[in-house]
Amino acid sequence: MRESLTPETVSLLLAGLTLTIALTVVTSITSFVVGIGVGTLRLSANRLIRSAAGTFVEVFRNIPALIQIIFWAFAFPSLFPADTRMFLFFDNSVMTWLTTATGLSLPYYALAACFGLTLNTGAHMAELFRAGVGTLPRERIETARLLGAGTLALFWWVLLPGGVRAAFPAITTRLIHNMKNTALASFVAVPEFFQTVQASITQSFRAVEFLTIAAVVYLLLSTVMAGLLRRVDIRLNRGRMHVRPD
Amino acid sequence: MSDQIDFLLDSLPHLLFGFPGQRPGGLVMSVLLAVAGLGVGLAVAVVVAAAQDARSRSLRRLADSYVHLFRGIPLILLVLIIHQLVASGPILGLNNTPLRSAVIALVLYSSAYQADIIRTGLRSVPVGMVEWARVIGGSRWQVYRLVKLPYSLRVMQPALSGQGITLFKDTSVVVIIGVAELTTTARIVLGSDVGNTPFWVATYLTVGLLYFVVAFAVSRLALRGERRYQAGNLVRSLAIPTAKTGSRL
Repeated sequence: MRESLTPETVSLLLAGLTLTIALTVVTSITSFVVGIGVGTLRLSANRLIRSAAGTFVEVFRNIPALIQIIFWAFAFPSLFPADTRMFLFFDNSVMTWLTTATGLSLPYYALAACFGLTLNTGAHMAELFRAGVGTLPRERIETARLLGAGTLALFWWVLLPGGVRAAFPAITTRLIHNMKNTALASFVAVPEFFQTVQASITQSFRAVEFLTIAAVVYLLLSTVMAGLLRRVDIRLNRGRMHVRPD
Repeated sequence: MSDQIDFLLDSLPHLLFGFPGQRPGGLVMSVLLAVAGLGVGLAVAVVVAAAQDARSRSLRRLADSYVHLFRGIPLILLVLIIHQLVASGPILGLNNTPLRSAVIALVLYSSAYQADIIRTGLRSVPVGMVEWARVIGGSRWQVYRLVKLPYSLRVMQPALSGQGITLFKDTSVVVIIGVAELTTTARIVLGSDVGNTPFWVATYLTVGLLYFVVAFAVSRLALRGERRYQAGNLVRSLAIPTAKTGSRL
């Protein structure tokens, strides 16, 4: 039986953890933006835009994140002939730059995982934001209109802050779920934390130790994220009379 | 194009039902896994939710840690942990079957989410109603079973069906231990043959479509059920369990 926690394993796991955190931060931001965007389009007066946004939400919410990630990473490139595929996804200046910047040998797979997670979580967030806007008192929107707010001003000063504030507890849950979903990127050769855990198990045959470490680390990540987002929530509601029950 | 269609037509039965001569697989297995996880998970969750509101402080702590633990780690990790425990057998001493590991992991995972839903639902029961039931002589257990649970089930229904759909989609991660559900079947169908590369897109689009159809259909059905509850006379729909409890208490 080999030693389980050698310095190499520790640095491998730390690199994986860094990538997991990076994936979480990037996809949290992108899916938040996508969610607000699509959620707003769902409120559009134009019926065509509304139903297009609705279709987006239903499609990307109802297909498992894992399938979406595999699709963008492995299936999508196979649409192109071999030489074009090599150039488009692996061997071009952007990918080379990404490799030097991030240290990933195949950055396309990480991008594909981010893309899949963004669409999936974004679709969920769009629905949460729309529901959040739905809870706003009608008078507030009517007052803004009466005061002469245009569509953009209404969105920026009323719908965006109000909707996000109302939906924030649900958004928190979804973002933590998204953090856990980054583990699915291990499936498409992204060396994030869960993948490095699996690699360490293969090397050392010490499954129980490494799985326990993984569980503790993910629990910590969830707890820290919940704490941070809770502080954001409190900040969002600062100076307001209404106190949200837990 | 025609070879794409041929490939899909050949593999569609496998994606739907699995491979002949083996236990059911493909989409059928995905649905079965979700149903097992939800059904058993619900039973576990009722107990956990009761423990979360128990009078004993240590029991409450235990139930809270249960929920916190199984909600805090990725399902794919939980599946691997359970499989490892079951396979090496230090704790449960069961045989090494991926299917059993998958079901256990799904039950633990789902029950943690369901327990939270149930607890929230139970708290929505008006205090007056519970007190009333206690005053006319109901024991704590009777009030729980005959008043709180039936009343709050209506409140919980949307969240529970949402959780069901989520669990159905989440069953895809058991591919990591090779249970022959839809995602695993897709991987088997495509195999490691480089000649199959042109079929990747079509196969995964089909797999996505199959998940979508089931998840979307269930969410629409759930919505219809919800609307019926809301459209119906609230008092009438509540009167059924209350009348029953009245006569039985």
